[in-house]
Amino acid sequence: MNNQEEKNSIKDKILNKIKSGEIKTKPKLYFILKTVLVVLGSLVVGIFILFLISFISFALRASGLWFLPNFGFHGFGIFLGSLPWVLIITAILLIIVLEIAVKRFAFIYRKPVLYSLLAIVLIVFFGSLIIDQTPFHSKLFLKAREGKLPLAGPMYRDFGMPEFRNVHRGVVLEITENGFIMETPRSQKLTIIIDSNTKLAPDFEIKEDDEIVVFGERVNDAINALNVRKVNDNLELFPSSRRPKPLPPHILNQSKENLK
Amino acid sequence: MEEDIPQKKDEEIVKLVQSGETEAFGNLINRYEDKIKRYARKFLSDSEDINDVLQDIFIKAYKNIQSFDIKRRFSPWFYRIAHNELINNLKKKNAKTLPLFDLDVFLPQYSHKDNLEQQIDQKGTQKNINNCLDKLEFKYREPIILYYFENLNYKEIADVIQIPVSTVGVRIKRAKNIMKSILNKTGYIHE
Repeated sequence: MNNQEEKNSIKDKILNKIKSGEIKTKPKLYFILKTVLVVLGSLVVGIFILFLISFISFALRASGLWFLPNFGFHGFGIFLGSLPWVLIITAILLIIVLEIAVKRFAFIYRKPVLYSLLAIVLIVFFGSLIIDQTPFHSKLFLKAREGKLPLAGPMYRDFGMPEFRNVHRGVVLEITENGFIMETPRSQKLTIIIDSNTKLAPDFEIKEDDEIVVFGERVNDAINALNVRKVNDNLELFPSSRRPKPLPPHILNQSKENLK
Repeated sequence: MEEDIPQKKDEEIVKLVQSGETEAFGNLINRYEDKIKRYARKFLSDSEDINDVLQDIFIKAYKNIQSFDIKRRFSPWFYRIAHNELINNLKKKNAKTLPLFDLDVFLPQYSHKDNLEQQIDQKGTQKNINNCLDKLEFKYREPIILYYFENLNYKEIADVIQIPVSTVGVRIKRAKNIMKSILNKTGYIHE
């Protein structure tokens, strides 16, 4: 077959297939829907990553792990070993999925991957910081604790309040002779023993309803504390009945006015 | 209408096909068959394979013609389809194509822009390229073919391969350096 015949043969074959209806164009709507799906899918994945990262931050603080690096080298080792790696790896994989999904857009692939990855990481980081400032996870956590969160409940119960042997977060219920009794987010009551081995800050003072993190090995329901720290991160891990909040000043003043 | 078509731009012909004048697609086949064949020949050696891939490329382009935005240039869009089909074909043959991840796509690169000097040496370079193209890695071979043989600019090549524009410049420059050393070794350089 010479060149011209070969050319005509390919052209004729394709045009015949078009004429016979063997090959058809996909409708414009198909491509519009495809783009809309990619955009919506990317948004959903992005929002889920935001949720996941802010949840990891919440879980670290709720379990007391976040404060472990402050307890020295030993604390830092336990911190690394106890991180919720399943959640962290899931978040990293989802960031890669999001990067691949948005890479189909010209304004993304024309720039180095590092730029779009950095943009995603920064958006996720600052977005999570904003969510961290809200009681979003605390509220869901309390609902999960009461069994009122059907879908995400197990996640909040498993990752939101994991039990560790060496670090324990809770609220002080009662001061005892040689320490105190605290309640954990799982509603367990633990006896904390403070002795000569316990390292405390010079100005450390503890009272009922203080939120604290205790570093020390748990044996049954007692812990010989190696270190105790007060926590003031506004995580509402305990029902409001357990931690009565003072009324804001303007409402308090109004109440006083009404009484007159 | 038929007589006017040869004077029309690719994008105008696509508009006709999009509006239902399917016969006009034959004109696009006439215009691109040789170009795509030449492009495919740089990656595939079997002429039967080349013809099969050629058909697949035109069929895929026809099926997806409604996704083409006529405000953009047709050739990069069409070469993108050709690129994908070639990659798929090479993968089927287990040939070494592009790696899943490449550092030059990841990190920012110093961009080597098209300039007059590069255009002037284009003809001489084409001759040299032909002498050592098969010795180049796939990731260097493709941008150099698209630039020197298919006359696409860096941005259009970036759209075809879907890599950063600066990476296109870097790959072309590296490819030229590799070719230069090959040609120096063989003592075959067209000045």
